Amino acid sequence: MSRRSAGALLASPLLLVLLLAFVGPALFMMPLSLREYVPGSGIGAGYTLGNYTRLATDPFYREVILRSLGLGLSVTVLCLLLGYPLAWVIAHARPRLKLALTLLVIFPMLLNLVVRSFGWIALLSNRGLLNNALMDLGLIERPLKLMFNLTGVLVGMVHIFLPFMVLMLVPVIQAVPRDLREAAYTLQAGRLRTFLSVTLPLTAHGILAGSIMVFVLTISALVTPRMLGGPTYKVMATMIYDDFLLTLDWPSGAAMAFTLTALTLAVIGVSSRVLKRWGGEP
Amino acid sequence: MSERRASGPVLTGIAFLVVLFLQVPVLAVVLAAFSDTAYLTLPPKGLTLKWFAAALNDPDYLEAAWTSLWLAAGSTAASLALGLAGACAIQRRMVPGAAWLNALFMAPLILPSVVLGVALLQYYAAVGLRGSGVGLWLAHVVITVPYVVRASLASLASADEALEDAACVLGAGRLEAFRLVTLPLLKPGLVAGGLFAFITSLDNVPVSVFLLSASQNTLPVKIFTSVEQGVDPSVAAVSALLILVTGIALVLAERWTGFHKHV
Amino acid sequence: MPALTLDRLEKRYEGHTAAAGVSLSVKDGEFVSLLGPSGCGKTTVLRMVAGLVAPTGGRILVDDRDITRLPPNRRQVGLVFQSYALFPHMTVFENVAFGLRRQGIDGACLRTRVEQALASVRLSGLGQRMPRQLSGGQQQRVAVARSIAPRPSILLFDEPLSNLDAVLRDEMQIELKRLQREVGITTLFVTHDQTEAMSMSDRVCVLAGGVVQQFDTPEAIYHRPATGFVAGFIGRPNRLQGRLAVDGGGPQAELQGGHRLPMARADGLAAGDALDVVLRQEDISIQPLKDAAGAGLPGTIALRSFVGARVQYVVALRGGGELIADTPTNGPQSGLAAGDEVWLGVRPQHVYATRRERAEAGA
Repeated sequence: MSRRSAGALLASPLLLVLLLAFVGPALFMMPLSLREYVPGSGIGAGYTLGNYTRLATDPFYREVILRSLGLGLSVTVLCLLLGYPLAWVIAHARPRLKLALTLLVIFPMLLNLVVRSFGWIALLSNRGLLNNALMDLGLIERPLKLMFNLTGVLVGMVHIFLPFMVLMLVPVIQAVPRDLREAAYTLQAGRLRTFLSVTLPLTAHGILAGSIMVFVLTISALVTPRMLGGPTYKVMATMIYDDFLLTLDWPSGAAMAFTLTALTLAVIGVSSRVLKRWGGEP
Repeated sequence: MSERRASGPVLTGIAFLVVLFLQVPVLAVVLAAFSDTAYLTLPPKGLTLKWFAAALNDPDYLEAAWTSLWLAAGSTAASLALGLAGACAIQRRMVPGAAWLNALFMAPLILPSVVLGVALLQYYAAVGLRGSGVGLWLAHVVITVPYVVRASLASLASADEALEDAACVLGAGRLEAFRLVTLPLLKPGLVAGGLFAFITSLDNVPVSVFLLSASQNTLPVKIFTSVEQGVDPSVAAVSALLILVTGIALVLAERWTGFHKHV
Repeated sequence: MPALTLDRLEKRYEGHTAAAGVSLSVKDGEFVSLLGPSGCGKTTVLRMVAGLVAPTGGRILVDDRDITRLPPNRRQVGLVFQSYALFPHMTVFENVAFGLRRQGIDGACLRTRVEQALASVRLSGLGQRMPRQLSGGQQQRVAVARSIAPRPSILLFDEPLSNLDAVLRDEMQIELKRLQREVGITTLFVTHDQTEAMSMSDRVCVLAGGVVQQFDTPEAIYHRPATGFVAGFIGRPNRLQGRLAVDGGGPQAELQGGHRLPMARADGLAAGDALDVVLRQEDISIQPLKDAAGAGLPGTIALRSFVGARVQYVVALRGGGELIADTPTNGPQSGLAAGDEVWLGVRPQHVYATRRERAEAGA
């Protein structure tokens, strides 16, 4: 059997599956997003761009989109601020400590997403561990509202994506040659100066790659915002969920889905161009 | 001049706090699972195993768990077969446009899961596959196969083609040579990829939640919808069991394949 | 044991030709080397014989059977790779047994054959080790044992000794030659090292740019190089440019500065032709100028190097240019010094000249 035909035989089953269950459905949803939804009687006959234009013009939808993007940004920044120090310590730790820390970072990442979010609910809800503890200690009289709002969602999302950020930063920090730091010290640079002018620039592409991943995953997230934010805290993914399963306004949901995809691709596209340019920098 | 440690005490302190932060919900779940009261206190007002009993005796939970396991096993198996084959075709440049194929195979990672979920929902609804086991299985294959492809490509890149050549000259056919020589060397990467695939499927909510019929359920989706309806401590018990299983799996994976190197 | 014949073997890629019209025949039980610089096509030819590369033209025959279209696993050839290609996840025993198992041999017969193969490379008793536990030399021997265990009709070597250090390499050259004589397999050996090729082979095929330059015994190649490339590749050459002059004394190579060296042969050359002349370091005799005798060139020693068995002199020629000459350490001329005036003598049969072309293949 020639190389070509063997290759075709090997690649085609997967190709077929992806075309049928990935590309096909995505393309199929396009026309759906352009249809009209009539409440009470289902999908109308005509085509319209209304589902898309509404996202930009209707303040409700605008708020949802901006909230999603804002959430993405905040989670990313927090993950960076918390994750970089941890990644640094892991990168420079002795082998046994490094392994222990790495496993402690991987472990929550492997845990079921739902389980993790549930853990935060147990902690943050009005009758949850944190509020009960604070009240028992007499520090507060009424429970703090830590759930069903930005706070709860933020904490939950940071917890979910922090391991990704850390695991992406560790190899990048490790790749900075130790003697560069030492060279800076011999040139009278203090710790902070060395970090800012040597380590930070050299790990910049890792920071960007990690940030993009966290941002994209955050704006697409469904489970955590829903569990910790409740049905009233709306982001793009939860709106899609409501549209398809609750209000049954599939066209609107489809339009929102494509918009979310477009935002994701745009962010990835721009950042990979930037990363490519940075790749050539010394 | 004394040797400067790379990480000062402040930095190390922050790092440990962050690690602690990462474990906190795990501790909360375990606490909730054993707590005698429906609300949580520290220290707990009483310890009990009744939530575990309730969860393990609940037929809905058991069935959901079973479904999740079968689904994960089935989609991982299919992903391993399809993904390895596809990765070979790409890595050995056996087909034109290998780079495009690679991009396509990895694409499900970039598309938001919720978008894939709804796209499949409306597509299956149109072709009559809505709520079917096959449809669910295919969806899980799509979301798990990129991990297998990535792990396979990495393993294949470090496999020496001269070894297969040597096997052929010694009398083995191409397929036999691959099976006897290359496959054993790919094992660690495949195990890591397969493990990732399995966990991804087991964990999945954003795709599964749209595709399940009224009579089917997977474990994470059941927990998800249960929580929507109010906190039920047996959820905590189920979650605690999942934590235990994950922990054991991680230790085993690390022991057998040095898992952390492949993450 | 069968004979191996390559009939106008060719491998063309888009953009360059790795092998063009390579024809040679290896007699039953003979040891032939394919010798040439990197990129000359010798490995490509070897891999075509093994069946790992498909030729774009020509045939490969074992005795009278055309095996050109056969896949590698049906050719019954053995191949020792440059990187050894030992299976890292199998023991030494399993590595050597691999080919035998493919032939359906197992049990006691398998064990005996494996032990025989290991004994022939003097590695008995190491069967249970893993390849990574062995030294480079041992790994190389396992690779040899593995390829001869299935008793192939043809044995191929792809620069098997190039990863070994010099001392080990010398030892292995002798061992491999002895082994080949014992087993008597028709052997094709690829190398870029001329001393290796000449010391081990019955005949040597010199390749350059995918084309056979000369195929003959080591002595013939050394003393009667057929092309300018061979003359410049074998031995340690000095390369000069000159012109063919013919007078009553026969053909002579006229070099820079008007010096003439008589030539023993001038086939295919005409008076006035521009020449590439090769004089081997070991063919040039050096003596003080006052002892000048016969045909030669005068010069002054610019540099003296002691290289162990020989002493090397870099001599600036009167009239321009430089030549390197060497002489045995224990000989009479090893004590000359820089600045001495000397006479470099060359016998006519050691003046190798070819017509100068625009671009010479492989040189």
